[in-house]
Amino acid sequence: MSKITEVKELVEAGKSKKIGAAVQEALDAGGQPAEILQAMVDSMSVVGDKFSAGEIFVPEMLIAAKAMSKGVDVLRPLMTGDNAASLGTCVIGTVAGDLHDIGKNLVSMMIESAGFTMVDLGVDVPAKKFVEAARENDNVTLIACSGLLTTTMPALKEAVATIKASGLSDCKVIVGGAPVTPEFAAEIGADGYAADAGSAAVKAKELVK
Amino acid sequence: MNQRENFFAMIEGKKPEFIPNIMELYKICVGGADCADQPTMGGIDVFGVNWILTKEGEMPEPNKFLFDDIADWKEYVSFPDVNTLGIEQAAKMELEGVNRDEVIINVYSPTGLFERLAAFMGFENTLCSLVEDPDSCREFFEAFADYKIACMNRFIDAYQPDVITYLDDLATANGLFMSPKVYREVIKPAHQRIVEAVTSRGVIFCQHTCGKCEKIIEDYVEMGAKIWSSAQISNDLEGIMKKYQGQLIVEGGWDSSGPASYIGASTEEVVTETIRCAKQYGKYGNFILFPTLLNENGNSLFVGDSRLGSMIEAWHRVEKLA
Repeated sequence: MSKITEVKELVEAGKSKKIGAAVQEALDAGGQPAEILQAMVDSMSVVGDKFSAGEIFVPEMLIAAKAMSKGVDVLRPLMTGDNAASLGTCVIGTVAGDLHDIGKNLVSMMIESAGFTMVDLGVDVPAKKFVEAARENDNVTLIACSGLLTTTMPALKEAVATIKASGLSDCKVIVGGAPVTPEFAAEIGADGYAADAGSAAVKAKELVK
Repeated sequence: MNQRENFFAMIEGKKPEFIPNIMELYKICVGGADCADQPTMGGIDVFGVNWILTKEGEMPEPNKFLFDDIADWKEYVSFPDVNTLGIEQAAKMELEGVNRDEVIINVYSPTGLFERLAAFMGFENTLCSLVEDPDSCREFFEAFADYKIACMNRFIDAYQPDVITYLDDLATANGLFMSPKVYREVIKPAHQRIVEAVTSRGVIFCQHTCGKCEKIIEDYVEMGAKIWSSAQISNDLEGIMKKYQGQLIVEGGWDSSGPASYIGASTEEVVTETIRCAKQYGKYGNFILFPTLLNENGNSLFVGDSRLGSMIEAWHRVEKLA
């Protein structure tokens, strides 16, 4: 088995304790950082698909994301200035009036694993803060807004409307959360919708390419 | 039959005279839980977790954890003495003026095993721990089950309840948080002890799990739960009602993510949803309606709502058992 294949398998299995050494071995064997990173991104894509298909559950997805993050830590010093695998920056947050973060955090991990740099605004985020963050950070290509409660669906609508009215024409907006449907996402003017964290990563890539 | 007699007919697997609505069926008691589990008005609980009050209820303060590594739980968790919680005083206040011959006393016991661990260390850490360090999780769950059982016994002594509703949300809108295998191996053994502690004293066990949790309904029934609440429509409710007729009452049915639950839903939308539930689920006979109606002030169950009158009227108007 090649060292890069080993890295891929360790990410999929969520072996965060072993991944650092495996990435280092792949580098020592002549692997290029961008190639190793892409292998990990591919692994996370497999993980996302398995999650969406109900073959694995949240813990398995979380530990895979954790393993990838540990692997990226080894690569990061070697990749300064190399934006080959970057899909830009994604600003993410749970909308105003909603303190739930589990869904938002999962989506954040999966979108990061797909190749985005994440700016996480946390929970209870006012609409204008999404716009400010998109202006303050470089190369923001995506804004992701989450809402768990039916009571905060109006806040989701307001967030999308505020972003769209701000003139941030290069940013796509993706929304999601338990009460959100594709119809609601379309009705409030979002560019994309995802039902779960795995498909959010797929949709995120699709929107910015 | 009055509400009480009708309810016990359902529990015994007989055909009820009518299908109840929880708003008319239960006296829901939360005072004991306020002392033992989570403060209903927010603030620091008996374990040191800070709860934030929102319109939908209270939740642990986001991103503020007692510990990150489940292996360390003993260093951070100290169990309170149940004698000092004030459960008896809470029961006395809540039961004042209640006609026990008419209503069913339902004591809520929120923050079950999984939710309590999440309150201590957050969802992500909890979920990772379930697969990365199941032994430490099991050890924690067993210890916490001991505390829960001590509380359940105090609830039973103080309230003499008909039902205890144990709340543990193990699922998202799309499915279980963890695989059924992980639930069965890591959480279920301690969960089972809690169910047995309640049922062994002749009290009906109601399992509350939101979301799409149908893969472990069999486990709930097998352990001795007689009611499953707040059964959401992402599950195959009719299939479950058919399969467990005479064994399990399905309490829920309301489309809690649908238009009737949106802020600003019209009375007509609420009535339409009420009639759908009545017609679709009433005929099975092992169903209790659990409407989820939200308004600007929060959950209508607790804060009231001008649409409730029309909803209850519509519920009574529709023939359900036919």
